[in-house]
Amino acid sequence: MKLNSFDKSKELFLRATKVIPSGISGNKNPAFAVPGSFPYFAESGEGCRYKDVDGNEYIDYLAGYGPIVLGYNDPVVEAAADAQRKLGAAFNHPTPRAVELAEKLVDLIPAIDWCAFGKNGSDVTAYAIQTAREHTQRRKILMAKGAYHGSQSWCRHGLGGLIESDYEHVLTFTWNDADSVMDLVKKYDGDVAGIIITPYHHPAFADQEMPAPGFLQTLRKICDDHEIVFILDDVRAGFRLDMKGSHEYFGFKPDLTCYCKAMANGYAVSACCGSQPFKNAASRVFFTGTYYTSAVEQAASLACLDELVKSNAIEHMMKMGTMLMDGLKKTAADNGLEVRLTGPPTLPFMTFASEKNFRRSQLFSGEAAKRGVLLHPHHNWFIMRAHKEADIQRTLEVADACFAIVSKEFGKD
Amino acid sequence: MKRLPGKIFSTALVKAGVVEATTERDLIRAHMHLHAVLPRLADLARLDDEARAIISEMNVAIEFFVPGGPKVVLHFKNSSVRAVRTGKADVCLMFPTCKMLNDMFDGKKVTPIPIKGVHRMGDLKKLTRLTDILTRYLKPSQSEMADKEFRAKHVELSLLVGLAATEAIATIEAKGRRVASHMPSGTMLYDVKGGPKAHVIVKDGKIEVFPGAIKDPTTTIEIRDVDLAVDLVKGEVDTFAANGSGDIKASGGLALADEYNALFDRVGLYLS
Repeated sequence: MKLNSFDKSKELFLRATKVIPSGISGNKNPAFAVPGSFPYFAESGEGCRYKDVDGNEYIDYLAGYGPIVLGYNDPVVEAAADAQRKLGAAFNHPTPRAVELAEKLVDLIPAIDWCAFGKNGSDVTAYAIQTAREHTQRRKILMAKGAYHGSQSWCRHGLGGLIESDYEHVLTFTWNDADSVMDLVKKYDGDVAGIIITPYHHPAFADQEMPAPGFLQTLRKICDDHEIVFILDDVRAGFRLDMKGSHEYFGFKPDLTCYCKAMANGYAVSACCGSQPFKNAASRVFFTGTYYTSAVEQAASLACLDELVKSNAIEHMMKMGTMLMDGLKKTAADNGLEVRLTGPPTLPFMTFASEKNFRRSQLFSGEAAKRGVLLHPHHNWFIMRAHKEADIQRTLEVADACFAIVSKEFGKD
Repeated sequence: MKRLPGKIFSTALVKAGVVEATTERDLIRAHMHLHAVLPRLADLARLDDEARAIISEMNVAIEFFVPGGPKVVLHFKNSSVRAVRTGKADVCLMFPTCKMLNDMFDGKKVTPIPIKGVHRMGDLKKLTRLTDILTRYLKPSQSEMADKEFRAKHVELSLLVGLAATEAIATIEAKGRRVASHMPSGTMLYDVKGGPKAHVIVKDGKIEVFPGAIKDPTTTIEIRDVDLAVDLVKGEVDTFAANGSGDIKASGGLALADEYNALFDRVGLYLS
């Protein structure tokens, strides 16, 4: 078979480096994937596939890093967005879509009574911690070590552009270790405003970890006992585990919840949602942005959420994800390799059991991309409603060839 | 030599207003000078004929220290140099403050206080000749850089200084400590194609740097050529752009590379 090449991607990237810092910023920079064996720039998408600027087509398991939940260019969502676009994209004011979307989310998610809208996950996680601080009049925020809650300075990784005061009141605990949380709560007694967590642990460059039995419930109790606001960052997993929120899937109740990615099938909208006791504090936090009220994205979100419910999309995605995870495990074993598949079926991730440095993952993912399947080596994957059995089967055929290459290069386990 | 009198002396100088109190920046720079720059004399013995000849004539342990601050003892013996942080020396040079030590490394006229081995002026003169050679490699002229072989040695020494200097960032600087606390343990190989190799061992936040390759590194950083490495050590490369273009190829444990690079990027703020 003819393997994909990435000449135009590289050419465009060189142009980009002259006018854009890093060429491509953040986690979409090729450095985080497999430079030279991975697409750099996208061109178009349909269903679970997209094309890059070289004309290569991929069965996609990254879904734009999560937002494409139904599939690229979904006709129902696009029609809703088009209809709103004809009325106008942005105004001096919100449109009725804002109220309709807030009502829809409140109806959908039993734990919440209100919503505020932003554009990205970072907007609403920052807003949630400010709301927690306003509600409690305290300073400290606790988060799990390695967790990602966005690109704002309070939780940002690395050092560029940060000063110590940006993060001096943000402290980390160890996932699934309630004692490490309690230690911090005791140490900063009376000054912990909020605990922010993802519903399960999904750091990059690592296996995913589900919550240990009782862990999330223990955090809930700690928050209740010490009047700390319990914040769920459901930006990544939201609407891929349970339409009532991932907390329903895991059986706990947060005070504030943040959603984004799967809300609008690729349109930029995010939401911080909460229960009644936190509404007044949320009102006192100045939360705005020029595009926070843009109506096209909110119209898209209304359609997307309806589609997810109507088509029972999560059940289908769970089935496809399970098929992919089971198939990869078996195909790897057929090639003499042991792999770990972690996370829920709708957000799976794979690592090679015999290594911690991702060299096998990088070779596997690079070879898969050359064969038209996009599986990120360092970041969890996303299943879409558009994935069908034939796509999973094709993916497993490609995986078989790639496992064979890995086995040849590194030897069997 | 006991350290206490020196510390009392320097504290007294600060109280009397003769010298300024040590800042975090001064302390970091002093650590870098003693623990990242001076230990490169060991590499100089390998890379430079003139330096090797001088070192072969030396049999002495020379200590640099700042009371309450960093200390290094350079052991010259059997045509080699070994830098350690503890132990006794034949010659002790005290710098009352980190700033005075840093001033000397910046080329300003500073006279350290010789508190032991004053009679071994010959060894100190040889040491000065060695540091002059090291300075030539670390801060070369344009004409020297035209020489391919010289350029490769400049890159190796500069890379080793830069990598070793990350330790001060990771242990002293508040921002650096935050990164180091998240940094996974592992080994990193820096491989300049057609040029030198160096490797870093990170274990529980502690950083050690060595010349040459290491087997089965956690992370490999391949640098296209010596010219790119020259720009890299000068801090003039957009490393993310270089990764995407293939000029730099990072493979293996990129989480380690990501964290470590955050420290490496800050070295230029202290050493120029």
